[in-house]
Amino acid sequence: MFYIDLNVKLCKTKQVNKMSEIKTKEYEKPENIINPNSKFSIEVDNLRKVFNAKKGYDDVIAVDDVSFKVKSGEIFGFLGPNGAGKTTTINILIGLLKATSGTAIINGYDVQDGLYHIKQLIGVCPQEPAIFKFLTGKEMIELFGGLHSMNKAEIKERTNKLLDILNLSNASKRKTKGYSGGMLRQLNLIIALIHDPKIAFLDEPTVGMDPRVRRATWEFIRSLKKTNKTIFLTTHYIEEAEKLCDRVAIIDYGKLIEIGNPKELIEKYSVNNLEEVFMKITGRRIMEGM
Amino acid sequence: MNFKRIRVLLKMELLKIVREPAFLFLMLLFPAVLTIMFGFIFADPEFGMSMETVAPGLFGYACIFIIMIVAQSFTEMRDQGLLKRLNISPMTSGDFMASEIISNMIMVIFQVIIVYLLALPFGFNPNTKVLGMFLAFLLMIVFSLSSVGLGLITATISKSSGTATGLSFIFILPQMFLGTFIPVTATTKPIAMFMPSYYATNALSAIFSGDLTNSWIITGFTFITIVSLIIIIIGMFLFKKFGNK
Ligand SMILES: Nc1ncnc2c1ncn2[C@@H]1O[C@H](COP(=O)(O)OP(=O)(O)OP(=O)(O)O)[C@@H](O)[C@H]1O
Ligand SMILES: [Mg+2]
Repeated sequence: MFYIDLNVKLCKTKQVNKMSEIKTKEYEKPENIINPNSKFSIEVDNLRKVFNAKKGYDDVIAVDDVSFKVKSGEIFGFLGPNGAGKTTTINILIGLLKATSGTAIINGYDVQDGLYHIKQLIGVCPQEPAIFKFLTGKEMIELFGGLHSMNKAEIKERTNKLLDILNLSNASKRKTKGYSGGMLRQLNLIIALIHDPKIAFLDEPTVGMDPRVRRATWEFIRSLKKTNKTIFLTTHYIEEAEKLCDRVAIIDYGKLIEIGNPKELIEKYSVNNLEEVFMKITGRRIMEGM
Repeated sequence: MNFKRIRVLLKMELLKIVREPAFLFLMLLFPAVLTIMFGFIFADPEFGMSMETVAPGLFGYACIFIIMIVAQSFTEMRDQGLLKRLNISPMTSGDFMASEIISNMIMVIFQVIIVYLLALPFGFNPNTKVLGMFLAFLLMIVFSLSSVGLGLITATISKSSGTATGLSFIFILPQMFLGTFIPVTATTKPIAMFMPSYYATNALSAIFSGDLTNSWIITGFTFITIVSLIIIIIGMFLFKKFGNK
């Protein structure tokens, strides 16, 4: 009985594999083959997410017709005020939420049906750390390394490296139950990057970290670029986003209102830094009394 | 399903049970305490019952509480965002359910050993050899499937882990009172007939009596296997659909 069941499952997986191979080929547009550098890691088209409220309350349009593309090897900053729709967008891209309409393609796979493949490629640092309290930091990292099919030696080497960078080596031997807020966030980030993902979604990775760790984190994120990793980053540290990101998108009330290279944006709005660009173009609706 | 992923998840599940005092208590200490207590009470001739008749029920008793453990564990993981966190890794729901089922099966094996060993000094004297013990283990392992399934159903309808604890009694109480060591009467029998624990207890009694041709054994296995499979499939389906939000 069990054997039969297993076989059926195996067959199914194979079929899925074949199907998605066909899918990938479909997505590989001719221009990508001509110019491999133009291959996009993330392609978002007219993405919309409406949270339907209970009767008597207004629906929330969290993401409103957003389109953008992120190139492979790019550090892409996704900026916007609180409640702008950043986390919602990420949750759609990583398959936790279903979009109301529009498409999202990660590395050639549609999030609608290619999620299994996407999950092997991505690393996610969620805005809220989710950590098993009864495990030590190290065990928690090993769990996720194992889920990503890394072998023991790989996990060990990479864990030590990341713990070192984030200065968490000592604490990692303790149960996470007693971790401080910042330590939980550090661990949260390590878990996201343990398997050296091709594409990393980092949702405010440095919140609550002390300045030293934060700086080390930014340096590390910068170093990932050298290995051609794509980073999709949200942060409220606009100054650091300005230094770090190849391009930024600014989103407000679910709408993408600006996208481009930080320097170009600063020039375009004739201001001194990216934060001023941010201040200038976000929250307009508040000022306009909406 | 992927063997490596199941293995790391299984390790996590087992560490959870061993390190979380509430789970460890329910899983291993509770059956032990229960066996000793009932041992003292029922072994007294004044009571008119013997450990022989009570012990099979005690095995089921321990297993029934897996419903509460599973319900609590799943609601906690859901509330703390851990299910979502796991879901964005390459883990499939098949890996996850397999590890969950295997970890509870392992615990059931420990429960059976604990109850068995602790019941012996109180006059429990089973007339079984290797095959009988093997059948007893197998029966309880299959029975644990139904508990995992009912735990998943409880988790689906519970808003928080506190609610899960309370609601799990919907499935725990009837099985406890209508199928384990409390004698089933003509009044309670029509209800007990639907309780997996009733079949588990009767089949175990038959196994321990030493007569492996007793029809209760095959009836018990058949009923529990079918019911457990149905319950676990319903549980997995419901949890996947509604319990993961
Ligand atoms: N599950 C949900 N149900 C209803 N509304 C939601 C839900 N999740 C998010 N929202 C709403 O969608 C909007 C966007 O939220 P989101 O979490 O994406 O913002 P954000 O840009 O990540 O903000 P922050 O910088 O504070 O993290 C908010 O108005 C929020 O209230
Ligand atoms: Mg957010």
